[in-house]
Amino acid sequence: WSFLQSADSIRKQEFSDTLPQASVSDLGVILMGAGYEVFLKGPSLYAFKGLAGRFAPIGVHLAMLLIMAGGTLSATGSFRGSVTVPQGLNFVMGDVLGPTGFLSTPTEAFNTEVHVNKFYMDYYDSGEVSQFHTDLSLFDMNGKEVMRKTLSVNDPLRYGGITIYQTDWSFSALQILKDGEGPFNLAMAPLTINGDKKLFGTFLPVGDTDSSNVKGISMLARDLQSIVLYDKQGKFAGVRRPNSKLPIEIDGTKIVIVDAIGSSGLDLKTDPGVPAVYAGFGALMLTTCISYLSHAQIWAFQDGTTVIVGGKTNRAKAEFPDEMNRLLDQVPEIVESSISKKPDNIGG
Amino acid sequence: MIFSTLEHILTHISFSVVSIVITIHFLTLFLLVDEVVGLYDSSEKGMIVTFFCITGLLVTRWIYSGHFPLSDLYESLLFLSWGFSLIHMVSYFKFKKRKNNLSAITAPSAIFTQGFATSGLLTKMHQSAILAPALQSQWLMMHVSMMVLGYAALLCGSLLSVALLVITFRKAIKIIGENNNFAFSFGKIQYMNERSNVLLNTYFLSSKNYYRYQLTQQLDRWSYRIISLGFIFLTIGILSGAVWANEAWGSYWNWDPKETWAFITWTVFAIYFHTRTNKNLEGVNSALVASMGFLIIWICYFGVNLLGIGLHSYGSFTLN
Repeated sequence: WSFLQSADSIRKQEFSDTLPQASVSDLGVILMGAGYEVFLKGPSLYAFKGLAGRFAPIGVHLAMLLIMAGGTLSATGSFRGSVTVPQGLNFVMGDVLGPTGFLSTPTEAFNTEVHVNKFYMDYYDSGEVSQFHTDLSLFDMNGKEVMRKTLSVNDPLRYGGITIYQTDWSFSALQILKDGEGPFNLAMAPLTINGDKKLFGTFLPVGDTDSSNVKGISMLARDLQSIVLYDKQGKFAGVRRPNSKLPIEIDGTKIVIVDAIGSSGLDLKTDPGVPAVYAGFGALMLTTCISYLSHAQIWAFQDGTTVIVGGKTNRAKAEFPDEMNRLLDQVPEIVESSISKKPDNIGG
Repeated sequence: MIFSTLEHILTHISFSVVSIVITIHFLTLFLLVDEVVGLYDSSEKGMIVTFFCITGLLVTRWIYSGHFPLSDLYESLLFLSWGFSLIHMVSYFKFKKRKNNLSAITAPSAIFTQGFATSGLLTKMHQSAILAPALQSQWLMMHVSMMVLGYAALLCGSLLSVALLVITFRKAIKIIGENNNFAFSFGKIQYMNERSNVLLNTYFLSSKNYYRYQLTQQLDRWSYRIISLGFIFLTIGILSGAVWANEAWGSYWNWDPKETWAFITWTVFAIYFHTRTNKNLEGVNSALVASMGFLIIWICYFGVNLLGIGLHSYGSFTLN
């Protein structure tokens, strides 16, 4: 380690003091008792404490480099895609995923077929949506089911390096019975989409469907739990929930809402950089906390009977002089003229 | 029903106690009464009462609504004022021997945030609301609480740096009259406290310069330590937010306005630490950086919410 050889360079330290009648080896013993690592070479002494506090800032910067490397890998080697799948239909992962950079290479898992068994939403008592759920089955090339899971917003599905997230939803079709006939699937069209607030609508023509001025029953819905129906004049006719199977009579036509078929909005992603980035995150958090620790260094030089002491610290700057003074007070004063190793007289 | 009245009572108690505490503080500074110590103790007790009130308020909201009380702007403002009173508590109990000047910063900050939260501007949000699906996650507790605590600590630290700058440049700016000067009265309080404890050092040029120097040194040290703590919280908050975003939406960084500004805040305080490594730039220059940090935190926490767009739009509100 780096010893300071001259008395002057020690005096220039942040904290420095002079002990007129002392021995540098006594100082070394006291420092060792206080938890310092002490190195003695002839008349010079070097001691340090809290090595972690010295290397932690280096660790912080290395962690940041790791995060950047992981981010680069993510940017050049991922696959991303999104798809809106009506309940009951399926898709193949590879059809949906597209590469983001030149390092992206597809894997065997891309041949997996994903089947949406059911899409449903949970509601609060007030009617607001509380959670979205999609029940998915994954099938491999041979048609064998390899995974079955219900995903929701903060709970994605992971398979073969590919992650599927629940990010959106849509209304696919309304299944109704008209005058006992059916069921008919009426496709629902999005009318306004304002972020989370959506409005879907569909139209059931009544009467002469070939005339240019077709009249019918309109049905609007904000979510899958209740449908609002309007008659031929556009007047409000009633609200029905798909589960209730209660009929409604509008202008002589009996309508039963059988089911509201939703579509699940899924985002798929594969990201090879994530392990590196997470490792970098963890390292950054850890090293930032460790760099809070103080690293102190002390140099001393024996000049005749005098010991010159200097020290510095990188963190706890206010407490350091007090701690140093406390330690130096413990160094015994040598009253004899010769520098001997046995300190019989303990002085302040 | 019981919970909402309890909440109401706690809000009002904490608000009034903090106002009384501030009044006491200002009285002691401007009148410079000799019972500084006596009044100081009562103001400390007042802050303890406030702390328990705000804690009670947050716990009540938690039980009543069923989710951790950090889902919209109102709740995060409450949490911020709780953060301030927490910092006050910790610094008071850890350094009982030395009366520190941090309380002059934390107490007014707590009252301002509490006051704004309970003011008429945000009455719409006082009701506990239900959580949107994206917010129903364990990460909510860690990410948002770390961020708000980080903001609280960094705000304190940057305010201390502002105080340092005010004191250092007092001569240049020529503030009206010495008796009105808050900062100088500060110095007098320090002197009176120290007189009872420590023997005065014989090396000082003039009493004014020495105590100003002592004060700036103390402010500098305190702001450094508080900002270090806040920086750690901010780092953990940003990183946990990134991991949560990856779990929820598949991407850990989206250059969303709030995320970007949080990153800018982080960078500004990283610059603060790097300026301190150079001995020449320590003191006033680093304090300048930290003061800019104060503005940037408010833009990040509040300004971005006014835009009302992006993934963090839960915190937005409209002034009706």
